[in-house]
Amino acid sequence: MKKRLLASLLALLTMAVFAQGKFTWVDSISDDKDKILPGVNPAKVTGSIITAGSSTVFPLSEAIAERFAKEGFAGQVTIDSIGSGAGFERWAKAGETDIANASRAIKSSEKESAAKLATPRTPIEFRVGTDALAVVVSSKNSFAKDITVDELGKLFSTATYWSDVRSTWPRKEVKRFSPGTDSGTFDYFVEHVFKTKKEPLLSAKNLQLSEDDNVLVQGVAGDEYAVGYFGFAYYVENRGKLKALAVNSIAPSGETVDAGTYPLSRPLFLYSDARIIQEKPQVAAFLTYYLTYVNDLIVKVGYFPAPASALKASKNALAAAMKGRY
Amino acid sequence: MTQVFPARGLARPPRPGEAVIKAFLFSCAAFSILTTAGIVLILGKETFSFFKEVSIVEFLTGSLWQPAIGKFGILPLASATLVTSLIAMAVALPLGLMVAVYLSEYAPWGVRQFLKPALEVLAGIPTVVYGYFALSTVTPLLRGMIGQDRLQVYNMLSAGLVMGILILPLIASMCEDALSAVPRTMREAAYATGATKLEVTTQVVVPAAFSGLAAAFILGLSRAVGETMIVALAAGAGPNLTLNPLKSAETMTGHIVRISGGDLSYDTIDYSSLFAIAATLFVITMILNLISRRIVGKRREVYE
Repeated sequence: MKKRLLASLLALLTMAVFAQGKFTWVDSISDDKDKILPGVNPAKVTGSIITAGSSTVFPLSEAIAERFAKEGFAGQVTIDSIGSGAGFERWAKAGETDIANASRAIKSSEKESAAKLATPRTPIEFRVGTDALAVVVSSKNSFAKDITVDELGKLFSTATYWSDVRSTWPRKEVKRFSPGTDSGTFDYFVEHVFKTKKEPLLSAKNLQLSEDDNVLVQGVAGDEYAVGYFGFAYYVENRGKLKALAVNSIAPSGETVDAGTYPLSRPLFLYSDARIIQEKPQVAAFLTYYLTYVNDLIVKVGYFPAPASALKASKNALAAAMKGRY
Repeated sequence: MTQVFPARGLARPPRPGEAVIKAFLFSCAAFSILTTAGIVLILGKETFSFFKEVSIVEFLTGSLWQPAIGKFGILPLASATLVTSLIAMAVALPLGLMVAVYLSEYAPWGVRQFLKPALEVLAGIPTVVYGYFALSTVTPLLRGMIGQDRLQVYNMLSAGLVMGILILPLIASMCEDALSAVPRTMREAAYATGATKLEVTTQVVVPAAFSGLAAAFILGLSRAVGETMIVALAAGAGPNLTLNPLKSAETMTGHIVRISGGDLSYDTIDYSSLFAIAATLFVITMILNLISRRIVGKRREVYE
C-alpha cells in the first residue's frame, strides 16, 4: 500500500515536471474569497466535461454548469444523475467519467478499484456543501418537539394517530405532507428513513404530495396535527409558521449540520483525480469555477454551504493538483 | 316583350370571390372539428399504450393511485371528483334555479337589468382567482365554523362550495332561457283558472321547461367534473380514497395538473397514466353531454 502511494506520488512529481505549461483559461482576476484558486475565464475553456453521480448534487452542479456556460463556456458539461454509488462505479471501475458527484464519502473498496484501473486514479475529495432535511410541524403544535428516526418511519407510514407513535402524544389523526416522488428530497427521506423502500410512505393514509414547497408549508402550518419534511433552507424562510423537530434529540442548525451530528444531513462531494485535472484543462477550470462560486448558488439550490474550513481544504487540494499550471 | 331568363333563375350571378369566402368559412368550421379529432386521437393513442401495461380492471377498481410504486387505481381520484362535483351541484342547482325563477317570473324590469350583467361578471372571473378565494378566504372561514381539527387545510368542502359559485351563472342563465321560452299564453291560461303566481311558477312554468332545466343541470355537472384550478389549489395534493368532504383529496383534473408540473419524462408509464385519466374524464363529460342532448330532444314540448 505504502509502495503504491510512493509510486503515485512519484508519478505526480514527474507529471508536474513535464507539465505542458500554463492553463490557457487562467484569468488574472480571481473571485476566490480565500485567495487560493486562480481566476477562470470560461470563454477560453474548450472540450467537454463528464460527471455522474448523486441526484442530490445534480441540481447544484447543474446550476454551476449553467452559469459556467452563460459566462462563455462553449463546450458540454454532462451531469448524469444516477446516484452516488453508480457515479463511483463509472468513475472508479469503468474510469470513464472525469468527476464523480456524491452525497457520501468514497468507500475504501471504491478507492481500491480506482487504484486498479489501467491508468490508476487516486481520488481527491472536494467538499462542496451540505444537504439537510427539516422535519417540521406547525408552530401551533404544542406536543411534538423531538423525534427519533424510527418514530419518523412510523409517523410517515403506518401510524393513524399521533398516539400510535408515542403514547404521550394525542390520539389525533396524522396528516402527512411530503415532497413529490420526482424530487431528490423524497428519495433522500425514503433512503434514510425507509431504507429506499417507497411503498410504506406512498401507501400511507392522509398523504399530500407536492413538488411545490409552498403547498407543503401552508398545509403543515395550518394544522396542529400535520407533519412534513423538506430542505432546511425552506424551513428557515418560514420560521414563523413552522417548528423543526429535533431528530434523535439533535436540533437542526448550521452548527449541527456542519458537525455532521444532525442525522438527516449529509455532506455533498465531488471527486476527481490529479492526473485528470492535469491532462484535461477543462476539468481543472470547471472545478476551479465550481469551488470559487459554489457559495453564491448553493443556498438558492436549497443546501447548506460547506463548513468554511472544509471548503478551504477542497480549494487547497485543487490548487495542489493544478500545481505548476497557473 | 318576352325575356329569356338564364338557367340559374333569378339569382344574381355569383361573384368570383364568393367561392373563396365559402371555402374560408368552411375551413373555420372544419378547424374546430379537426382540433377535437386530433385531441381524441392523441388521447386514444397514449391511453392505449397505458392499458398495454396496466389492466383496465386494476385501473377501474384499484383503491390506491401512486404511479411511483406502480399503483394505478383511479378510485381515489374519481371519488374526489365525485365529492367536489356533488357539493358544487348542491350549491349551484337550487341557487341557480331560484335565481332563474326570480329573473324570469318575479324580477321587475329594473332589477333584471342589473342582476343579469352582475351574474355575467361572476362568470368572467378567472378560475385561478376562485381557487385562491377558496384556499385563503373560504377555508379559514369554514375552519372557524366547523373547527380547526375537523376541517383540513386542503379540503373538498371549500373547493366544492366555491366551484358551485363558479357554475352558478352558467346554470342560472341556461335555466332562465328555458323558463323564458315557456309561452306567455300558458301562464295567462293558468291565471285565468285562478292560479296564484306561485302556483303558475311551480306547477306550470317549471314543469313546462323541465327538459331545458335538466339539460342545464347536466351541463353544469359536466363543467364541475372538468373544473381544474379550484380543486388543484384548494382540495389537496394527494390521492385519498374518502367521501368525507372535510378531508383533503385530489381530483382527476387536480392530479393531472400537479404531476404534469413536475419533471415527468415522456414515454414513461407515469406520463401515459395522465392520458388515461384524461380519457376517463373525456368519457364522463361526453356521456353527460349526450344525456343532456337526449333529454332536450325527448322531453321537448313544442308550443305553437
